[in-house]
Amino acid sequence: MQTDLGPDLDEQVVASYLYAARYEYNQAVLNNDNQLRVFPRDGEGQEALGYELWTEPPCRALPFTDRFGNPVNRVRAVEHHTQFVVATTGRVRLSTRQPEADEVGIEAVRNLPEQLEYASATVLVDPSPLAPLASEVIGGATGLIGAVRAVTDWVHDNIRYLRGTTDTTTTAAEVLAAGEGVCQDMAHLSLGLLRAAGLPCRYVSGLLTDQVGETHAWLEFVHPTAGWLPADPTRGVVLPPAGDFVKFGVGLDYTDVWPINGTFLSKGAAAHLAAIARVRFGEHESNLADALTLLNDAHVVPR
Amino acid sequence: MVMRTVGEGGLSEWRDDHGRLHPHYAGVASALEQLGPGVLAERWQASRRQAERDGFTFYLDPREYRTTPIDVLPRVIPAEHWARISAGVAQRLRAINRWVGALYGDGQDVVPNDVVYSCDYFLPEAEGFRPPRDVWVHIYGIDLVHMGDGRYYILEDNLRVPSGITYQMKTLEIAARQLPEFAEGYDITPYDVRETYLDLFRSVAPDAGPEGPAAVILTDGKFGSAFFEHRYLSDLLGAPLVEGSDLYVGHDGRVYARTADGDYAVDVVYRRIQDLEIFVPGLRDAYFAGKVALINGVGAEVADDKLVFLWVPEMIRRHLGEEPILEQAPSHNLLDAEERRYAHENLEQLVIKSRRGYGGIGVYVMPDLGDETHAQVRALILSKPDEFIAQETLDFSSHVVYDEQAEQLEPRYVDLRVFAVQDGEGRVSVFPGGLTRVARAGSRVTNNSSGGLCKPTWVLT
Repeated sequence: MQTDLGPDLDEQVVASYLYAARYEYNQAVLNNDNQLRVFPRDGEGQEALGYELWTEPPCRALPFTDRFGNPVNRVRAVEHHTQFVVATTGRVRLSTRQPEADEVGIEAVRNLPEQLEYASATVLVDPSPLAPLASEVIGGATGLIGAVRAVTDWVHDNIRYLRGTTDTTTTAAEVLAAGEGVCQDMAHLSLGLLRAAGLPCRYVSGLLTDQVGETHAWLEFVHPTAGWLPADPTRGVVLPPAGDFVKFGVGLDYTDVWPINGTFLSKGAAAHLAAIARVRFGEHESNLADALTLLNDAHVVPR
Repeated sequence: MVMRTVGEGGLSEWRDDHGRLHPHYAGVASALEQLGPGVLAERWQASRRQAERDGFTFYLDPREYRTTPIDVLPRVIPAEHWARISAGVAQRLRAINRWVGALYGDGQDVVPNDVVYSCDYFLPEAEGFRPPRDVWVHIYGIDLVHMGDGRYYILEDNLRVPSGITYQMKTLEIAARQLPEFAEGYDITPYDVRETYLDLFRSVAPDAGPEGPAAVILTDGKFGSAFFEHRYLSDLLGAPLVEGSDLYVGHDGRVYARTADGDYAVDVVYRRIQDLEIFVPGLRDAYFAGKVALINGVGAEVADDKLVFLWVPEMIRRHLGEEPILEQAPSHNLLDAEERRYAHENLEQLVIKSRRGYGGIGVYVMPDLGDETHAQVRALILSKPDEFIAQETLDFSSHVVYDEQAEQLEPRYVDLRVFAVQDGEGRVSVFPGGLTRVARAGSRVTNNSSGGLCKPTWVLT
């Protein structure tokens, strides 16, 4: 098992989380085939201690690890249904020791050949139109962490957090043009600015440990000695306190780490009714019954 | 030989490297000479008229009546080449069948789980199902190219609803009718599609009774690209052509066909559609319950995935304990960091294929494409390496087609789609010859969907 937690128990904390989502359809669905990425990822300060998964209608879950090392379950319902519910709980051990990362020059990681794809264009993040803004924002920064801080601050200050105006197909350039969006959009724009400067970085999906409600998105950048380090443009912080996140998965952009992604066969349409997530520390175990109760009380989310 | 060939270069089916006609084309070439341009032009036109009259269509666009373009100058495959091809195709079919059985049965460890489980064609509901006598694949189409000296490379496997067997037959039939002179002096290996398919139907429904099984052909309708084939097989096999709405699953779990004279129970559904559940709710479950035979069965589609293709040689070694008889086009797994970097650095020389593509869709032959497409494909393979494979661009063989207006022969890239059938007892037949598909001038993409020609194809005895 890959883990880089320190031996000192004072620097570790156990957290349990729950995640649940419900979809309703206005006509019967025949096949509902999904990949789920809402399970604890192992490594980089987080040790996965296990998870449970429940769906309605019941599906046989096929677990696998994707090319980024993210845990995935494929679930496919083949009996007719008009509602699809996913509920999962999991446990992680998080390191609370802050990684040691000295400031280094940008050149140490710029255009590293082995990180090529992390500095290249994706479906939702095309860095090339962002290049002028990137040089303006990063121009004054003296080092790597400084550059990431400049980008994170710029996005935090200039993009207004607003739900409902963007969706899962909104590109980084569109976020910049609109000047508003949610955590996913702020992560995408930040990735685009960093990649425009040749800095390898990746999209991260998971949960914020101090927030109840929904999944969060942030980013990680490559540091030559410390590896992948986090920055959260939505909150405007670089290197947030260790133990701040439960990490589900990483990818080049959101399309690599959808919490739920799939296809269904129906004459009708789907409404994503609600999703809920919560993290608790210590002895408070999250269980599936709690997840479903919370889901029933959850507000309808617009995206 | 005075007939001019324009622009020929590289490996040719027609001539050897020194420009000398291959000996097995001597008869065809002398018939070309004797007939002369006037007669050839007439015959070429007559073959097109016959295709038109007989409704020999392959639709690229359902709104436009389009006959299958053919070039009646045959491709001739020497017997020793064919011996190797047919052994290699049968071996591959058997290995894929075994692997699919392991995948849905006790488990397989040839292909990585993330590749299989992320495949759209992998069906979790088939886990634990065992088809009669473990036959998963009934009808198999395989695309080959000739690399010279009898070495044929596999480009891809077709395990969903491969079409083309009747295109192979009809092209031969038209050529034999319009240009019988070509075949004089040749011993062409015969084959019997009707008997092979009827045997297949009987073998998958052994309890159907003395009159044999009631079989139907399930079509996506007359606007489907290969409707000609559905209709031709229906006539050939005496199996009614039905659409999804003509079938239903009865209270006894059996499948019934609606007819004007009342409904009757169906033993065999030769399905030519992919999404069974949309067209006939319950058909898949009837198949799992053993109430009806499906051709092809459910589950083998997973081996149609272009990414799974990479592991077929290993399936042959592991499941049959044999070395592959036919090589496959050198291919690169873009999920591997080394191979991805290689593909990135050598992109201009590669073919990039979408994992889910078929019929030439999602195939990028990079040497034939411009800079703008190069940049787009480069971004695709870096951002979604799990959606594509890379193959070396092969300089495979060309054949000549006759241009009756210019009165000359012109070279075109050709491939060979070969069809094989595995019956309900596990016996494999490979139909000699196959369908030779001719690319458009300047292209290497030979699929019928890309608008190329078909050639009659002979295997010598």
